[in-house]
Amino acid sequence: MVQFFLESERVTELVTHLKGQKPVFAPHRKGRKSFAFERVEDAADVVLDYPRVMHSIRKFFLPPRETLMTFDLAENDFSTADVQPSDAIFFGVHSYDLGAVHRLDYNLGKGHPEKNYITRRQGAVFVGVSFEPDAYHFCGSVGIDPMDTSGFDIFLTKLLDGYIVEALTEVGEQLLNGLDLPAHEAGKPARGNFQQHIYLPQAKLNEVMAKSYDNPVWAETAEKCVGCGTCNLVCPTCYCFNVEDTVNIQATGGTRDRHWDGCMLREFTGVAGGEVFREHLADRQRHRVFRKFKYISDETGQPWCVGCGRCTAYCTAGISIVNIVNRLVGDYEKVAVTPI
Amino acid sequence: MAKPRVAIFDFTGCEGCELNQLNFEDQLLDILAHVDIVEWREAMDGHADEYDIAFVEGSLSTPDCIKRIHEVRRKAKVLVALGACAVQGGINGVKNTHPIEEVREEVYGEDKYLFPTLPALAVSSVVKVDYNVRGCPMTQLEFLKVFTALVLGKEPIEPEHSVCVECKLKENECVYARGMICLGPVTRAGCDAHCPTVGQYCTGCRGLVPEPNLKAMEEILVEHGLNVDEAWKRLQLFNANEIEGVRS
Repeated sequence: MVQFFLESERVTELVTHLKGQKPVFAPHRKGRKSFAFERVEDAADVVLDYPRVMHSIRKFFLPPRETLMTFDLAENDFSTADVQPSDAIFFGVHSYDLGAVHRLDYNLGKGHPEKNYITRRQGAVFVGVSFEPDAYHFCGSVGIDPMDTSGFDIFLTKLLDGYIVEALTEVGEQLLNGLDLPAHEAGKPARGNFQQHIYLPQAKLNEVMAKSYDNPVWAETAEKCVGCGTCNLVCPTCYCFNVEDTVNIQATGGTRDRHWDGCMLREFTGVAGGEVFREHLADRQRHRVFRKFKYISDETGQPWCVGCGRCTAYCTAGISIVNIVNRLVGDYEKVAVTPI
Repeated sequence: MAKPRVAIFDFTGCEGCELNQLNFEDQLLDILAHVDIVEWREAMDGHADEYDIAFVEGSLSTPDCIKRIHEVRRKAKVLVALGACAVQGGINGVKNTHPIEEVREEVYGEDKYLFPTLPALAVSSVVKVDYNVRGCPMTQLEFLKVFTALVLGKEPIEPEHSVCVECKLKENECVYARGMICLGPVTRAGCDAHCPTVGQYCTGCRGLVPEPNLKAMEEILVEHGLNVDEAWKRLQLFNANEIEGVRS
């Protein structure tokens, strides 16, 4: 694979070059110290050196809110929303977020395929960028390296004064055509060290989780938790949603909309008749963690957590999923580990 | 079919919720197409002895309030509590954290015996309330949802999740990340996270989520710089009645 070198000052030029071919979505500064993927209007606004964005690129394929159909009560008629392939470049994606998209492809592609998601996934081109793990990243523990290029069309590996640019697919090569970049021959740098680790690989975690249903860690975590649902909503592999109908004030018609939902929310497990299946926060905490390390993992052999650290970084109560899992590991192995 | 008759009543409150109803400039004609308003002291003359839907604003804080609310409940087929004071006692509930005689003295001085007073109560603590429109002032978005549901004969759905959910759906930067204290994690959604979205913090005006973990919320507030007393005072501002006796 040919590697090129891109000076830091030329990132804008690369973005502009890509933007001339397809719409580009990339991380931008948002608020005081946050970052978010937004459509690039001015290439100079793109930020490649960022710890994480609140919402991964999942939001472009499974939007936080979307209208599924509009209905007309007078005509007793409806029409479904016109969903188009994204056909865009997602620039500056971290490896764990692409890993999350691949997991969503599995969940939303099997059984009854999720038509809107699958349609929007079409024509998506991914340009990755390596990152330095911060106090929350632990993707190394779930098998995702910050410099993992798999699945990307183009990958940028951060160097001190610029980036190594690799085109990994034909689509990637074509997009770089016409850009004059010098070759890079010095090889890749060592990746940064993780500050957070899960102590066992998934193969072993399957055994741990099988013995963890009644672990006291769920109740202990629930004591600190307010059940706000943030951990679900920022998780790039969560895909649960709720569907609601809204009738307009004229009572002539309305829309059927869906929005992200989360298993940490009490009403999520509520059913007709008023029954709530996971009444207590402890039940919901267990379900959340099992959805990432047990239920789908038993089926696929893979952790369904990508180690982005969002659920911990955005938790106002300071609940750490790494500490929960390590506590389960410690109890299984009968060794003391970090308190939750 | 005759249009449902609507009456709007005010108890102890600033009348801001009623004002917010008058502020429905784009929807007022649509609203009036569905119902006849038969009594509304703030906006019209007249008095009605019969009505189908009563919207009640304000908390109940005098013996007279108690008498009037029973009368409203007797006549109304559906009673909707409008705004924080009516739904959970609202800011008026702060009164209840002081001895009632002290409050009376403070407000009325030597004339205090002329004005009997009670702790400020949510309407639902005296009569049955069918539906709530929460917020201070009441959330227009939610009013329209409840109103439309009533007109269609449907059950309005009251959100149980926190304001955090609505902030996340909008990808708002967390208020805590902006260095402020926010009650969003334990406050009931339905306002589309209005205040955090415009750069403010959540004061909890829409009431608490069901079964709030207030001990954990106290820890969050203390972790972010408040002392324990300040933390509970924040929570008390709109929810004094709901958290009465909870602090350990």
